[in-house]
Amino acid sequence: MRISPAGLLVVLAFAVPALVQARTVLAFAGVHVSPLQTVLIGLLVLTAVVLWAVAPGSGTEAPSEPNGG
Amino acid sequence: MSAETGSATGVASEGRTYIDQFPGEARLVRTAFWSSFVALGIGGLMGLVQVLHRADVLRVIDSTDYYAVLTLHGVLLALTFTIFFLVGIFTWAITTSLDRGLEDLRFTWAWYGLMAGGTALAAIPILGGLTDAVEMSASVLFTFYAPLQAHPLFYLGLALFVVGTWLAGLDWIRSYLAWRRENPDERIPLPTFMVLTTLGFWYLSSLGVALAVVVFLLPWSLGIWEQVNPLLTRTMFWYFGHPVVYFWLMPVYMMWYLMLPKVSGGKLFSDPLARVVFVLFLVLSTPTGIHHQYLDPGIAEGFKFIAMTNTMFLLLPSLLTAFTVVASMEHGARQRGGTGTFGWLRALPWRDPVFTGMALAGVMFAAAGFSGMVNAGMNINYLVHNTFWIVGHFHLTVGTAVALTFMAVTYWFLPQVSGKRLWNRSVALAQVVLWFVGMVLMSNAMHRGGLDSVPRRTAEPQYRGFEIEPTLGTMAELDAQIVLGGTILFVSLVLFLVVVVMTGLGDRVDDLPANEYAETLSGPEDAPLVLDNLKLWVGIAVVLVVLAYALPLAAIVDRGGLFGPGGSPFPVFVGCLEPTVSASVAFLGDHLPAAVSGWW
Ligand code: HEM
Ligand SMILES: [Cu+2]
Repeated sequence: MRISPAGLLVVLAFAVPALVQARTVLAFAGVHVSPLQTVLIGLLVLTAVVLWAVAPGSGTEAPSEPNGG
Repeated sequence: MSAETGSATGVASEGRTYIDQFPGEARLVRTAFWSSFVALGIGGLMGLVQVLHRADVLRVIDSTDYYAVLTLHGVLLALTFTIFFLVGIFTWAITTSLDRGLEDLRFTWAWYGLMAGGTALAAIPILGGLTDAVEMSASVLFTFYAPLQAHPLFYLGLALFVVGTWLAGLDWIRSYLAWRRENPDERIPLPTFMVLTTLGFWYLSSLGVALAVVVFLLPWSLGIWEQVNPLLTRTMFWYFGHPVVYFWLMPVYMMWYLMLPKVSGGKLFSDPLARVVFVLFLVLSTPTGIHHQYLDPGIAEGFKFIAMTNTMFLLLPSLLTAFTVVASMEHGARQRGGTGTFGWLRALPWRDPVFTGMALAGVMFAAAGFSGMVNAGMNINYLVHNTFWIVGHFHLTVGTAVALTFMAVTYWFLPQVSGKRLWNRSVALAQVVLWFVGMVLMSNAMHRGGLDSVPRRTAEPQYRGFEIEPTLGTMAELDAQIVLGGTILFVSLVLFLVVVVMTGLGDRVDDLPANEYAETLSGPEDAPLVLDNLKLWVGIAVVLVVLAYALPLAAIVDRGGLFGPGGSPFPVFVGCLEPTVSASVAFLGDHLPAAVSGWW
């Protein structure tokens, strides 16, 4: 793992507003992405993030695995 | 807790939990929390009902009962959930930071009883509105605008609830004064300072709504007054309605200042800056309420402009908070070994639901700041007024910045006040993340719908013979996004309640972390003494309120009468007073508007 499972969860969560808002912003620019396309692109992005996260680490391990509080 | 977090400044919890330090107070805080969770559960269920109903996915109630449901949702969430949680946090803050129990727990339970009793009284007619079996109803929404009229019990309950909060404030002030007598030369501890400044504007502003209810609305619902002046009671409501927003937010800011640095493993960046922020809120919270009335006819544009200016000033303390909080988090992350310009973000304790929930709530609050600026601008407000945009906006503020922070810190507080271990940290983490995702979906579609003029407070926004045409996508798609978001939110809410109930059912343990809050990098000794001069700040707040409200109120009364146009202003039994009172009203009416028009 390149990042902790909790870190991955949070990155995935942040991807949702990025996707939703990107679609809204693109519409302002006249580029219309349908809901289905958004969902498909979203799934691709999320899968890519997961694959990146679980790929064997490349020395960029998170400094100290948070021990929580 | 991690090694970096020492004991809190000046507080000797000596490694003990809150319940070990103050068992009696812990019981009160626990009870207040549970009261707020019950409100959250019922209110959240109503939220789901509304979402499904509006989208016509599932209609479990009659559309004519929609306002009863929406009243329940608004009152239980915006007032009951938030304020019960607040009194819990503030009681914790006072006792922990002054390191002394409350003076008399019987008094404490008395104000709690008033608040709980008031809520119950108000809830009876609201629930009555859902059934034909009883005559009562109070489907007036949480703003209770006249001419919508509720059963007298609703107004009575509301008044008792507010009086309960006033007594709670007195309880905390009493503790503070007792501490002051023993420590004449010490600086006010930061958490106590936060409570006292918040109380300053709470007394100032809730007086307005209390007068509106006790002098006008309650007697009107009892038939003593024939009618009221709706613009006057609305203005008195918003005189309180904006500061109440900060009443919810101040405990949240307190948590961001005191707990977020601690759980990030660092210290609060600056105690003086935190004090400045709370003083600014004390001074500026109240003279802004008219920004909710930009579209009300009968209030001169000049007054609205003053309210807008004050509102824009309020951005300052919020930006200061964003700076201080992020700086404190970065400090914590670097203490934990984080490096790089953004790399330190990875060193934050994302596994901890207390941290992650608060951080996500903060991010959503930043987004809410942007839609809030749109609301606050007099001219663009016309575009979004009374649309679903507004609903999207305040589900980011009170519905997330406040609600999600409260849920997140519950995961720290509940063990402290119950002595029991948090039931399941992974479920808790999933819960806060789900709330964030659900709200992103719901709020985005609400904002977009609002821009396309989808109305709020409507059971069936599908009108016959009229189609709303969204700029992007279709109405069906917006509805679907809202239903999806609302459902995820509801699931998150259920998970939250499962975690707190399971925690409550657990056994007492004795290896819980100690009751502490963050130390500061720059402490109170760096804060100018004048900051602690609360009398001065309250005085300035009062002056600003008089400047912002005296003339508009006089103009409203002059034009519409104290009791509305054409109504007999005074009931028969005070008829003998009428000449004097109407003479003074007439005097004000003659002179103040002249002064106003001279200025604008
Ligand atoms: C399960 C999560 C929630 C859902 C699905 C939800 C849904 C909704 C919807 C659809 C409306 C608008 C109804 C309309 O205008 O016709 C609404 C209004 C409102 N919500 Fe929520 N909500 C949720 C949580 C919350 C929370 C946590 C709070 C505050 C702490 C809150 C406070 C309010 C308020 C104050 C209103 C305005 C009521 C009025 O117009 O009188 N909601 N909610
Ligand atoms: Cu406001």
